[in-house]
Amino acid sequence: MPSPSAIVERGRVVIGDEAAQDAGVTPGIGAAAARALSPGILLLARDRAREDAAMRALACWAGCLTPRVSVLADTLLLELGACLRLFGGLEKLQAAALAGVAAQGFRAACAAASTPLGAEWLARLSPGACCKDAGDLRRGLDDLPVSLLPADAAAALARFGARTLGEARRLPSAALARRIGEASLRLLERAYGERPDPRPDFVFPERFALPLQLPSAVDNAAALLFAARRLSAALAGWLAARQAGVREAVLCLRHRRDETRVVLRFAGLTAEGGRLERVLRERLERLTLAAPVEALRLEAARVEALPGRSRPLLDDAQSGQEALDILLERLGARLGEERVYRVAAHADYRPECATRRLRPLGKYAPDAPCRSSIPPPRPLWLLDAPEALPEVDGRPYRRGPLTLLAGPERIESGWWDGGEQAGDARRDYFVALAKDAAWLWIYRECQARGWFLHGFFS
Amino acid sequence: MTAALRHFSLDDILERPDVWRGRLAGARLPAVSSGFPALDAELPGGGWPRGALSELLSDDAGFGECSLLLPALNAAREEGRWAVLIAPPHALHAPAWVSAGVDCARLAVLAPESPRDLLWAAEQTLVSGAAGVVACWAERAAPGEVRRLQVAAAGGQAPAFLFRPRRARAQASAAPLRLLLSPGPQGTLGVELFKRRGPPCARTIFLELPRPAAWRDDHDALVARPASAAALHRGARPLAVA
Repeated sequence: MPSPSAIVERGRVVIGDEAAQDAGVTPGIGAAAARALSPGILLLARDRAREDAAMRALACWAGCLTPRVSVLADTLLLELGACLRLFGGLEKLQAAALAGVAAQGFRAACAAASTPLGAEWLARLSPGACCKDAGDLRRGLDDLPVSLLPADAAAALARFGARTLGEARRLPSAALARRIGEASLRLLERAYGERPDPRPDFVFPERFALPLQLPSAVDNAAALLFAARRLSAALAGWLAARQAGVREAVLCLRHRRDETRVVLRFAGLTAEGGRLERVLRERLERLTLAAPVEALRLEAARVEALPGRSRPLLDDAQSGQEALDILLERLGARLGEERVYRVAAHADYRPECATRRLRPLGKYAPDAPCRSSIPPPRPLWLLDAPEALPEVDGRPYRRGPLTLLAGPERIESGWWDGGEQAGDARRDYFVALAKDAAWLWIYRECQARGWFLHGFFS
Repeated sequence: MTAALRHFSLDDILERPDVWRGRLAGARLPAVSSGFPALDAELPGGGWPRGALSELLSDDAGFGECSLLLPALNAAREEGRWAVLIAPPHALHAPAWVSAGVDCARLAVLAPESPRDLLWAAEQTLVSGAAGVVACWAERAAPGEVRRLQVAAAGGQAPAFLFRPRRARAQASAAPLRLLLSPGPQGTLGVELFKRRGPPCARTIFLELPRPAAWRDDHDALVARPASAAALHRGARPLAVA
């Protein structure tokens, strides 16, 4: 976004970016004054819907810090008292919160206190404050100006010389209530923790579908990663708050006319942000965009409750199966889903139909093998397309005449499959030994009278 | 210092894999039995090395190069771990793998599109340490790439196999174990260990592998008569007539 710029509502500046603030564009001045102070300034109309969407995304992300979040107009309140030990103390938690907000592409003023209103006021006027107990909170609040109170109360207090909240609170409370009104007094009591101040919890949405408008159209898939990471971090927070994991997520890339859906499949239930991001990166690096992308939307398609799991005491290495899930998921994302598979025997006499490919993870459900007690020899490798062999002196020939060691084994099946690729087969199979000592599986087509190499006994 | 040294006996030090002891080298290298006693006797550590790359050079399919690995694949199954095959040269014929005793539920096959993806997939698989055994078929691999794979394998516990064409023999390789596979007499598989830890192995070992049919010397036995289609048909037993 070009700088300087500012947000304007009803002809008044709401806030300017750093360059605008340096030029003297302060909140509350008129649009004309802003243009006069900073001639090249870009003035943008305030978009409340986008602000709300951004706050909701942030609230979802905050789910990875605490399950109790509440959202005010431009303030995010996190109830952290119960999470302090998990994160290793208030300082670490505060740093994690600020880093997370920055990674989401926002800047935040942050303060911690034991009452929600106290924290909000401190964040506004004394960012970085960190009050661990009631004494800290009182000292912190006492220095704040009375302008935090409603305008008439602030004016009344200023008239008789109380400039800070501490000075106001030194007045007898009955007299104070008479001068500034019952409501303002209650605000003060809530901020100082003398009156309960319950806040409504943010309700994490039932379905996760978060849009993100890009500032300008992007035509490079790798460049989308930065923006998409914000969405995946929000998804991780939402999953953490709901104690759920995701099996499949869809990233919609909206172009001018249509949209591309990128399906992210996970091997197991996934709730960890890093893992979401890795799969996202592999998919985006492989993607070629048909048209520039204007907006993104991330949806969690298959969400399931995360089963409880006891972690080992020494959590150095992930358990084998989980590490394998992660590996196969990454390989699938980069190589393509159809290029990572398992094989299973399928009940069909035609060799080319006897192998079935299965997804690498999930339940392995092969058909019951149809063979009787002693299976005839079958090669480990099968050629995708049988290789026609010439016949020399009545013998099949491949780098020299072949010796037939076993056979024939008649395989005659599939007449009902005329329409399909495999189709009707009538063949006599032999185990053949080549002059170069390769063990081959060859067959003779009964109708077409030709020799074919079909597999290798490797 | 003496206190610290007292914890180690000479035997402990001699058993370290990085102490080179000529003929007795690597008596305790971690290894998985290859399933062939004659081969185990020559392999340092008594089997396929764990956490190291073993290179198998062979040009064409059909000599038994996969049967050579089947015991190692089955060992992974007994540990409950997965086997990963990367870029196998042909399609897997599942009934044969099942009857060879391979647990196909724990056998992942990767079919990368390009050589670059192949090496990436092999490296990722080895680095993750999640697979019990890894086999990779690389038509072309530069010495630097083989070194990367060896470094990746060294971090794990799995035996890792790299199939390459025979012409790669002239190329230097970081793999500590290199074998040349060739057909031997009487339907055996000849294995020449031209590089291994410890003293060089001069002789070629001939291994008896399970073969689909008895080996016969009289090459012309079955084809002495011109194989007329009618004669073949008379002898054919219909396995499935549907």
